[in-house]
Amino acid sequence: MNAPHSAGLAQHSVDNPESRDSKVSLTSSRKTTLQALTSAALVLPGLLLSPAQGASPSNDSVSFQYNRYQEGKRNLYNVHSNLKPIMVDVVHGSGNFTFYDRVKFSFSYTQDTWSGATPVTTAPLVANGNRPILQDSPQGVITVGASPLVQTQVLLDQNLNPLRLIPEGGKVIDPRTVLILSSASPETRNQANFRLGYEWNEAAVNAGGGFSLENDYKSSYGNISGRLDFNQKLTSLKFGAGYTSSETSAILDPDLLPYVTRTAYANQIERRSGSEILRGDRQDWTANLGLTQVLGKGSLIDTNIGYTHSSGFMENPYKVMTVIFINPDTLNPGSNSSITGDARALLEQRPNIRNQLALSSKYVQHISPVDAALHLNYQFSFDDWGVNAHTFEADWVQPLSHGWTITPRIRYYSQDSADFYQPYLISNQAFRKTAIDASGRQVWVDVNDPNQQFFRNGNDNFFDANGNLVDATELNLRPQLVSFDAAKLPQNFSSDHRLSGFGSLSGGVVLNKRFTKGVELEAAFEYYARASSLKLGGNGQSSFADFDFYVANAAIKVDMEAINSRMNKETGHNHANHDHGPRHAHGAHSVPAGIMFGHMLDNPGELMVGYRFMYSRQAGDMLRGAHQASDLSIVNEGCSDITLCRFTHTEMNMKMHMLDIMYAPTRWLNLMIMPQFMDMDMNLRQLEGRPPPVPGVHEHTGTGGHTTGGVGDTILSSLIKLYEIPGHRLHAGLGISAPTGKVDLKMRRMFQVDGGLFHFDMQLGSGTWDFLPNLTYAGTSDRWYWGAQLYGVKRMERSNESGYRLGDIFQASTWGGYQLSNWLAASVRGIYTFRDRIHGDFNEFNARIGPMDFPANHGGQYWDIGIGVNASVPSGKFSGNHFAFEWVQPLRDDVNGFQLEREGALSATWHYSF
Amino acid sequence: MKVTHFIVISIILFSGATLSGCAQIAPWERGNLAKSHMALDPNPLQSSIRGHIYGSREAAASINSAGGGGGCGCF
Repeated sequence: MNAPHSAGLAQHSVDNPESRDSKVSLTSSRKTTLQALTSAALVLPGLLLSPAQGASPSNDSVSFQYNRYQEGKRNLYNVHSNLKPIMVDVVHGSGNFTFYDRVKFSFSYTQDTWSGATPVTTAPLVANGNRPILQDSPQGVITVGASPLVQTQVLLDQNLNPLRLIPEGGKVIDPRTVLILSSASPETRNQANFRLGYEWNEAAVNAGGGFSLENDYKSSYGNISGRLDFNQKLTSLKFGAGYTSSETSAILDPDLLPYVTRTAYANQIERRSGSEILRGDRQDWTANLGLTQVLGKGSLIDTNIGYTHSSGFMENPYKVMTVIFINPDTLNPGSNSSITGDARALLEQRPNIRNQLALSSKYVQHISPVDAALHLNYQFSFDDWGVNAHTFEADWVQPLSHGWTITPRIRYYSQDSADFYQPYLISNQAFRKTAIDASGRQVWVDVNDPNQQFFRNGNDNFFDANGNLVDATELNLRPQLVSFDAAKLPQNFSSDHRLSGFGSLSGGVVLNKRFTKGVELEAAFEYYARASSLKLGGNGQSSFADFDFYVANAAIKVDMEAINSRMNKETGHNHANHDHGPRHAHGAHSVPAGIMFGHMLDNPGELMVGYRFMYSRQAGDMLRGAHQASDLSIVNEGCSDITLCRFTHTEMNMKMHMLDIMYAPTRWLNLMIMPQFMDMDMNLRQLEGRPPPVPGVHEHTGTGGHTTGGVGDTILSSLIKLYEIPGHRLHAGLGISAPTGKVDLKMRRMFQVDGGLFHFDMQLGSGTWDFLPNLTYAGTSDRWYWGAQLYGVKRMERSNESGYRLGDIFQASTWGGYQLSNWLAASVRGIYTFRDRIHGDFNEFNARIGPMDFPANHGGQYWDIGIGVNASVPSGKFSGNHFAFEWVQPLRDDVNGFQLEREGALSATWHYSF
Repeated sequence: MKVTHFIVISIILFSGATLSGCAQIAPWERGNLAKSHMALDPNPLQSSIRGHIYGSREAAASINSAGGGGGCGCF
């Protein structure tokens, strides 16, 4: 829960030997001749510009990273499950900047979206917890999936071993345990961190903080850390402390809710519109202390100790414990008769306090003959939950020629099981039984007044607690039932396999390529296998939970400090007030942030790295054409003749993060690659006058909201300069969009009902190869600038894998702006957009609940106005950075069919060219 | 027993770091130490993402948890 996502931040306290060296020698250089010589030697350009600076995270740099985590299928033994395993898409951006030489600021942003099948509990295999979902097909009845079944009967022998009935008759012991899986619709999490630091010659302090937000879990945190250097900077002492406050508010799985016993959390559960929300708070205090020591010319050691004190709600609100209740009266040791156990699911219960201690030591050795570095790491941790864990890691970092570095790595991990971990529990009591009073009489109650007790005599006559006969026909009497005694269960229990004993082995490789321009590309792959048998000392006893996963990632880093140094060398200018000839060209060509493909690089060999964020929101009225539509007209006309609309969306938000990499091989040609990451969310409401729900058929109301997210389509484009005279230029763009975004995202199965494909607008891409032609004219005169762009999207395939294709797009915009100062400009833009309707239709099940599920309710004509500002850093060390923002305000919508009104869109861009 | 185990490991690891602290390495002898692949964390971007993944699949404590965040990991 408290994963060290900001490990990169902790990095900062790791001092860079070279920068230490240069500083110590600079400050003490007056003292001795030797030190003067030393400092002179270190100021040699070659040493100052060595790669170590480039690797230091405290340099001025920005980075973007994409990760894919993909699990393999879990072993469900006899059940074929079509549930997709867990997959997580992560995008991460970060920046580090130095102000006034000693003040450092860094930030990072992470967004991850996960979906897939996750274990909710474990149970004996004979309990058939993964119930096959059968469907008729031309080949007969086939299994199309599995759904969790957590309340069932289990046959046990007198020694409480699970029994399986065999077809030949009779029973055999089947000791196997199995995970019970439930699927999840996509969920997105956002995290932002910041950090401010101050550096002295032999010390540093940092203060940082951030927050992580997801639908069901929010946390915010702050931390301070510092570093003290001693012994000519051969020794560094590091320390840190932090506090995290987290809040759980989990909507309990409505599928499982009727079968889950949650009495232990009665005070923490809030009921709202048919849902139950489990709430809990948690606090974490952490402290750490570390020592880094240079051992020799090519070796160093780093030792750290960390303490974490956690309190509050540490349960996973979606995990339940299978408890098999057995009636003690049926136990008859020695006999061959079998017992029927009553398997029930209880929300897991973890202790409310956890104290963890971790100790790690890292040894780094330079291997001179091959100029490699061997990194060996060992970590031991233990806590008062009983989890002892050992981690061994070895990395071999091997620089190769031409800026390449390859790092093979291997990791072994082993942990003991938490004291309260059990795959499932057996409790020697009935789950529910009839109440008996102190004198052995069965207790009856009136359903309408459960506080009043009644008893029955031998003549079947009822009397009350005072012995007065009552007329049972006038009362609604039922035997009083009492639930199990929670005190007879362990105080804490969890079947989360992450708390079981196991080992894991993983290995991978990291490949880096550093370009002379100050750009670094990084790609990595790691494969991880969890195995109960790999636990140190064996005996993990949780092989049913074994699984594997891989993680692949790609990153780009831009080191502005290295770029500045290189450019200063090339141009021979002073660092403080340099004048980057090539960069000035861009300031004069401001285009509004919402315009893509709007500007070109002028100099052969020039490179640009940019980031584009776009947010658009729909909310407000439902429109039909250009006018407001009533609920009744949507119900009757928004869907189809055979299906009336029942729901419509109340809001839809789309966020897009795009990386924009551009290179100029020649003066007249630019090449671009633009990967995109999307996330969307939508809320629904019921339409007034909708047809009544069919009894017994569950509907996906979506009132809790849907989210999707992940990799979107990837744009590859070229820009060609057609015409240029001073003050005027014209260029054309020819691009394609590759269908890397998914168009088959599905909602989870609920109440045995297939969720079906998400609405068209919630899919992450077009699913088709698209052609993106565009033409841009830009002009400048004195402080004024203006331009126009024609932009189109032509779908080049008839349909995507889900059976439809999005509409083609044509957009025309024109803008004018004024340079307010040498760094700031403002612009106004008018935009007309035509978007065709969707062609084709879903070829797989979609719930068809509202207008957003019908192709005819897409596209239209739109008129907007955009107000934008552009800012660029004209000089100094951050010269070359450009920022732009634009708000696009809808003026008029004329939509096809029935659609939700648009509220506006924000575009923000950053780019850095060099 | 666990505490004893922990203290023994601590002493071994910390003494390794401190006892060897007497060696003097002149600044001009630190060329290899200054190389990027000798940095304590040569791939910080990787460490951050791996830390997050291990943290959501394993129950070990972390030195770096002072940073906070990481989310629920409720899958």
